[in-house]
Amino acid sequence: MEQPVILKSNKYGINLILNEELPFEELLTAIISKFHESDKFFKNANIAISFTGRHLSTEEEIRIVDAITEQTSIHIICVLDTDEQKELSVKEQIEAFLKQQEESTGQFYRGTLRSGQILESETSVVVIGDVNAGAKIVAKGNIVVLGSLGGNAYAGAAGNADAFVAALHMNPLQIKIADVIGTGQDKSPLERLRGRKKQLEPQVAYIKDEAICLETLKDGMFENFY
Amino acid sequence: MGEVIVITSGKGGVGKTTTTANIGTGLAQLEKKVILIDTDIGLRNLDVVMGLENRIVYNLVDVIEGNCRLKQAIIRDRRYPNLYLIPSAQTKDKTAVNPEQMKKLTEALKEEFDYILLDCPAGIEQGFLNAIAGATRAIVVTTPEVSAIRDADRVIGLLESAEMESIQLIINRIRIDMVRRGDMMSMEDVKEILAVELLGIVPDDEEIVISTNRGEPLTGGDSPAGIAYSNICKRLLGYEVPFLTFENKTGLLAKVSGLFKR
Repeated sequence: MEQPVILKSNKYGINLILNEELPFEELLTAIISKFHESDKFFKNANIAISFTGRHLSTEEEIRIVDAITEQTSIHIICVLDTDEQKELSVKEQIEAFLKQQEESTGQFYRGTLRSGQILESETSVVVIGDVNAGAKIVAKGNIVVLGSLGGNAYAGAAGNADAFVAALHMNPLQIKIADVIGTGQDKSPLERLRGRKKQLEPQVAYIKDEAICLETLKDGMFENFY
Repeated sequence: MGEVIVITSGKGGVGKTTTTANIGTGLAQLEKKVILIDTDIGLRNLDVVMGLENRIVYNLVDVIEGNCRLKQAIIRDRRYPNLYLIPSAQTKDKTAVNPEQMKKLTEALKEEFDYILLDCPAGIEQGFLNAIAGATRAIVVTTPEVSAIRDADRVIGLLESAEMESIQLIINRIRIDMVRRGDMMSMEDVKEILAVELLGIVPDDEEIVISTNRGEPLTGGDSPAGIAYSNICKRLLGYEVPFLTFENKTGLLAKVSGLFKR
């Protein structure tokens, strides 16, 4: 038998795929129990929801939203319309908000990131120390390394192609910004380890013509970044 | 109360067991009461390097499983009145012991010994977790090779996460002639990459092979590695000993008077 309701998460929130044939009252109970099952995961979350798979009257929509709000700890910010025009504008607003979050806030990490360690950030991140080969930073915003970047850095992890990666010394294995990957220079492992000893040359990596471009930091350069 | 020190590396074959044997011997020479524990269950070899293989009756797993009393598994090294060993088991594997049990064992040994040295197995799985469980101090052994350095970096990260109080580094098998030619990482290179305190450097020395074959650690002798290990032991006790520099004059590693401070 087809499931009464399937929860699917996307960038904007949760999409409820509803069974078309089930009587509405049964469907409502099924939705609530589904959210209860994953209550821990959703605890106090602010989400936007959308409905697909079944046509709902305005009244039915309101009843579902009310039931979720009353019986679980989830806060529903808005119901996304299936109306494409409207949906697009809401999505744009959410994206703009997320992008602003990613770019204007950040966190600090103090210490050496060593092989096997992964630092993940919902915002931008500043590492005070080295990022050794085998370590990885993933940030939705920008990445700044006040030290040597010898591992992997992934900026704009939620898709922000304007994100950048800067380091006092660039010696990365890979840099990824949004969907674009750049691999470090081909060097022998010994050269790579030693590369860091050479003179500091602060560089910044960003997307230019669909590729990762690495440039020495110059005065006023950041005016071009957001 | 004694101090529990784990000797670890991540990568195999960099000289953990040799280092454990030589540091243990060196500390005993400095009149400390020392016990070595081989935690590499299934791949017993510290007893071989120590030349005590023929004295084994009970082992680490026997102690943990209660097949014998702790005292019965402790082997005294006849060459030094205050050097002891608990050998590993040959037939069991790493799952025969858990971190809690190791902690209890080292706690008990602290009462009686000044230093408890744990020879850690290669890898970062159960055997590693067992070995570090009771330790408050870690010595990471590496060679100046890219693979060993990478693994040492990983292990230092894990030790930091485990909140090890002190992490120090030994660079083993360094060849000054190769460093000079630029074919090997120098002490400075390694120190810079791993960013932990350096406890010592041990030159590549064929005397080590001879000493291991004989089952007699060479600490305290006048070979370059013997001197290096003696210095490491003194540093462990808190003395400031300058790092040796080795000069390659006649194709042999020879000690020179030019000593550099850290």
